[in-house]
Amino acid sequence: MINPFEDFKNYPYKKKEIPLDRIVQAKEKVIGEIVEGYLKLVEEEVKDLVWMVEHSRLIKAYSSAVRTIQKIDYDTDDIEELCIELDKGDKIPYLISGPAGIYLSALLNNAKEDTIQLGLYEFKRAFHFLGYRLPQGKTLLLKGNAGDFIGAGLSGGRLVVEGSTGNWAGAGMMDGELSISGNTGQNTGAWMSGGQINVEGHILGIGKTIHGGRIYHRGNLIRPYEASTR
Amino acid sequence: MGNGGDTYDSLLSSVWSKVRRKHFFPELPHPAISDSMDRVALEIKSKQITLSQSFIEQAARHLPLEQVIEALLDHGVSHYTYCPWDFHTHLTLYQEAKRVFKNKDKAQKSTDYFMDVVADTHCFKDKETSISQLYRHVERGALDEAIHALYQRIWGTDLNVQGHEEISRKLSRIPYLDRKHWPQSLHRFSRIIGSMLEAEQKSGTLNQPNPMGQNDFGRYSPEEMDQGLKEFAMATADPGAFKDVVKDFENELNEAGYDASSSMMGLGPGSSLDADTLFYMKLAENYTLPIKKIPIEKSGSLYPVSHSPWELGKPFRDIDPWTSFGKVMPGITQIWERREGETFGQEEGTPNCIVVIDSSGSMTNPRQRLSHAVLGAACASDAYLRNDATVAVYNFSDAKHGGHQILDYTRHRKKIYQTLCHYFGGGTRLDIDGIQSLQDPSLPDIFIITDMQITNLEVLVGYLNGLENRVTAVHIGDNARVSHFKKSTNIRKNISVYSVKKKNDIPKIVLGKIQEYFKSVS
Repeated sequence: MINPFEDFKNYPYKKKEIPLDRIVQAKEKVIGEIVEGYLKLVEEEVKDLVWMVEHSRLIKAYSSAVRTIQKIDYDTDDIEELCIELDKGDKIPYLISGPAGIYLSALLNNAKEDTIQLGLYEFKRAFHFLGYRLPQGKTLLLKGNAGDFIGAGLSGGRLVVEGSTGNWAGAGMMDGELSISGNTGQNTGAWMSGGQINVEGHILGIGKTIHGGRIYHRGNLIRPYEASTR
Repeated sequence: MGNGGDTYDSLLSSVWSKVRRKHFFPELPHPAISDSMDRVALEIKSKQITLSQSFIEQAARHLPLEQVIEALLDHGVSHYTYCPWDFHTHLTLYQEAKRVFKNKDKAQKSTDYFMDVVADTHCFKDKETSISQLYRHVERGALDEAIHALYQRIWGTDLNVQGHEEISRKLSRIPYLDRKHWPQSLHRFSRIIGSMLEAEQKSGTLNQPNPMGQNDFGRYSPEEMDQGLKEFAMATADPGAFKDVVKDFENELNEAGYDASSSMMGLGPGSSLDADTLFYMKLAENYTLPIKKIPIEKSGSLYPVSHSPWELGKPFRDIDPWTSFGKVMPGITQIWERREGETFGQEEGTPNCIVVIDSSGSMTNPRQRLSHAVLGAACASDAYLRNDATVAVYNFSDAKHGGHQILDYTRHRKKIYQTLCHYFGGGTRLDIDGIQSLQDPSLPDIFIITDMQITNLEVLVGYLNGLENRVTAVHIGDNARVSHFKKSTNIRKNISVYSVKKKNDIPKIVLGKIQEYFKSVS
């Protein structure tokens, strides 16, 4: 009887280990840890099923997120990948906008890199709270339209949005610079106490209460009134 | 081939034998070498790999000739054995890239490069290959440099590339060898190289081919295309998504010889590609509805059925002067094709069928979303065509006000599908005379598909209850009128009613299922 595998007898078959295997494996591990951290935060935050935007709640969620990510060795590529996962929902069963944005901000603020660029063009969902509490020395460039509360609580960092934002952009910001090339929604700069907001597009509404800082529209100072009319 | 052709031939044969064994004997014809290809290293047409002699000679300045040929063949064969593997995968990948770019050229280029990375990486990891040595010496554009920088990272080998740190780092995170995630991986790949393609578009170099050759559709045979389109229609289940991809390749599909005129499964020669019709054609091929046959006897007399062009040698007596413009000239003159008439008798057969389809406003527009009505009617039509019967179509909405289209008995699949895919919208009122005009003494089967929200449903019920034809009534969704229809036709044994709420309900339909006939043939 003829052995049908005779031709393969001397075939030198050996699977090589290539760097790709290691890179993909390491990446999968980090993404797994990041996703796990996000799910843990969501579990903590949505116990009562409704996630309200309250100052104390934001601080609590942010602190919790920072604690969770401390042990993870990630970089900006991992953050971008998390955005893709949040948008597509393959690995993440649910996206709750508030905690997702807070978690992303915690990752961005604690990333090794000082300048981070995040492309938002392709995403179906709008990400909220990006740039929340962005600290001094960090620059975040968002390419594409973003959601609500962009640059909220900005703490000295530089946030550039190449696109439009939703409502409450720069709300409660304390220091730093928020530049938006497109439009902003209602309550822009509400409760801000310092820093500067520059908007090139249309501003739907300025926050009623502003404690400090400056808002420029197409290069012209529009808040505070006193300074702009001086 | 130029000088040294014999040397190349014998070398190519010996290398090909080695490459075939290495890749587990793929079913590919013997490759060739051409001296008329200047721009790319190789091309694949209908599975035939052709290598560029000028490319080989150029690369042979740095590498032994045998290694150059082997590396090129490894590259070509890996596309066949690993990625894209088949036409369906190729379309699926292109669709993903198109989602990112919304531009054909960019999507095509991104898909090409992605498939190259996957095929080359598979080859580098799992086979003994000289691809990396070859890449060290090829001429590169900016994007090629970035891809080779990626190879340096993920293969761990030096390809003499500097720079492209960020882009190659981002690209290196993609699991190229994970087949299940190829669409997601290509999505990410496309996002990352997007800025480079944008730059190529601005500089006018976007249409320049990849130096290793373009992965165009010419490599597939018409049969592979048929199968691929069928699987792609099934996977997308969305006429819009199908059209978005297939429309982009209308010319390529036609140039590649895709018309499948030899079978009833295609469009017919010289037809323009109607992607919506093609979608339902290919989707319907995934389902096979059974037909209960009935005893039929050939009457022996021939009757004219359809026209065909007259050719020299064919009898003059069948010429139809009305459609021949009074001329007797091959190509212009038409003759009648005749078919034997059928009456009931002892042999089993399939009667013809009248397909009645509701395309009123309450039904889904088949060009916008997947219409279960069109798919069901298409599957039924195919079932009758497969059984050598002919199909007539009555497509209606508000028939009293002109909202109807009648197609006489035919075996022309494209015409049937075009009539089925026609969408009127508006009200739903049936004109029984329209259906009656298609009746004939041989009692054709009637297949009606509607949501039953017909203004004159009573008239239809009365008409069907008075018929002896086998009737298969399919309702889309459930409502009070459906219940009324079921109750009103319940006592009739020649009427079978089926419900279709989702795609998977369609294969449950049995055409012409009647107790008496069933008994008589079993």
